[in-house]
Order: sequence, then C-alpha cells, then structure tokens
Amino acid sequence: MTNDPNDVVVLTVDKFIFRFPTELQYSETGTWIRQEGSLLRIGMSDFAQQRNGDIAFATLAPAGTVLDAGDEIASIETVKVNISLPSPVKGMIMEINSALQESPEFINQEPYGKGWLAVVQPESPAQDLGKLMTAEAYSSLARQQAEAELKS
Amino acid sequence: MPRTATYHTTVRWKGEHWGHIRMGNGPEMDFSAPPDAQGHAGVLTPEDAFVAAVNTCVMMMLIWSAERFKLDLVSYECFAEGTKLIELDRTELFTQVVLRPRIVVRSDDSERDGAMKRLQRAIESAVKYSLVANSIKSRLILEPKIEIVSQAVQAK
Repeated sequence: MTNDPNDVVVLTVDKFIFRFPTELQYSETGTWIRQEGSLLRIGMSDFAQQRNGDIAFATLAPAGTVLDAGDEIASIETVKVNISLPSPVKGMIMEINSALQESPEFINQEPYGKGWLAVVQPESPAQDLGKLMTAEAYSSLARQQAEAELKS
Repeated sequence: MPRTATYHTTVRWKGEHWGHIRMGNGPEMDFSAPPDAQGHAGVLTPEDAFVAAVNTCVMMMLIWSAERFKLDLVSYECFAEGTKLIELDRTELFTQVVLRPRIVVRSDDSERDGAMKRLQRAIESAVKYSLVANSIKSRLILEPKIEIVSQAVQAK
C-alpha cells in the first residue's frame, strides 16, 4: 500500500491495482462518500467496481427517496453479477447521476468522477460519517477481502 | 465460489497418423493432423480445435453478455481464422486469430442507438471475459459486422 503524489492510496493485490483518494471516506460495502458542504456525494469504490466487473446497468433510487442507512441506493447489474448497493448514510436523495442510464460504464471508467451515483442530504451527518473509514483503513479492508478471495 | 476448475480430454493413438479423442463433456471423435502436415482430411485437427476453442468460447461469452445487456439477439455467426507462423527454427505458433462475427440484434427504432451501444459493450465484454481468449498468447482481432433490425422484422 503506497500513497501516490495525488493523495491516493494505491493498493496492489496480485495483478490488480486499486486506488482510493484520501479526500474521500469509505463504507465497508464498497461506497465512497465526499462531503460537499452539507451534502454527501456517493459513488462506488474502485475496488468494488473492479471486483464486480463490467457494468451493464445501474438503476438508482430516484431523487426524493428517503433512505435509512443500509437501504438500497443503487442496483448494479454487471456482466457477471447483480449487486444491491446499500446507502452508507440516512437521508434524502437530492440528485442522481442521470448520465448512468445511458452510460453505466462511467462507473468502471471513472468511479470517483463521472461515475458518481447520487447526492444525499444526510439526516445525522456526524453520526453516519463517524462510522465511515479513511482511505487507508478501507484499503486494509480491501486487501483482506482480496487476499481471502485469492486463498479460497 | 471456487476460484479454479479443471477440464479434461484423453487422446489415444490409433496407428499411422490417427488418434481418437474423448472429451470431458462427452463427445468422442477421431483426429489427425492437417493434410499439409502428413495428416488426413475430413477430421478434427489440433489446428482446427485451437481456432474453434477461441471461436466457440467468445460466442458463448457473447450469448451470455448479450443476455446481461438485455439485447434481443436474432442471430450470430462467426468465421474465425488462425494464422500460423513457421519460425526460423521451424517451431510454429498461431500469431493471431481473427474473428469476424455477423451479429443481428432486434430493437425498437427508438432504442436503436442504445441497442447499438450496448451490443458494442457486450462484444467487448465477451472478449474480456472469454476464458480461452484470455488464455492464448496469439493476438486476437475482432472484426464484427452488426445489424440492428426493427421489432417488426423476423429472424433471418
């Protein structure tokens, strides 16, 4: 695990390279969270997107949806699997990335950029954000998960 | 999910330039070398089996990825050509395999562009996730011909 010049934690496992920007926080379930004023932008981590494969469809919960932490914020269908991505926080969806309807591959191509999923107004930001992980901590978790899978 | 799987074939010499193969999935057949390599016409050869392995694997992966991309596949047919190179030391290898699939997909006229884009992504994924394509050192070249037909058109 190394820090590259652009403040990204870089994890190499086997032939795979995963990047985790240090400006973001991460959930155990593979989402990243960026604080933007009082709002939180949410996306899928590089580790989660690489592990699940080429994304064919991303169906997002619509704007206005009120979510508890753990409720499905996005349903992702890849060439290999279907996954339900839980919201890392409680709150209301204020905006979704409508570009993903036509171009779900943005999540694979730029998971921290144009592949973002939704913007949420959190109900209890201090409580929810306190449960999230730093890039370093998430990278350690990703390494454990990847190495466990390689050993299986 | 187990991360490895094994597959088997058994070959037996039948005399002269003939062999018999029993494949793990059931079929059995005689085989030989190609006629230009002191073999016999009309039977399986290792060269054909190699090219067929690539062609069949990419096709099966395309069928799968077309389903995952929710495409209404009408037909798929693919000509594959492997190019053998004889090196200076007389060793041989397949330098490349060219796949020329003809793919017909049915779509609403209003969905045509979306179907085209999803099909192109499905083709890319088929090659990316093809076990055999991933396992060969030959260059793999894909030259697809794609046709989108409207919902009203019947399968050819």
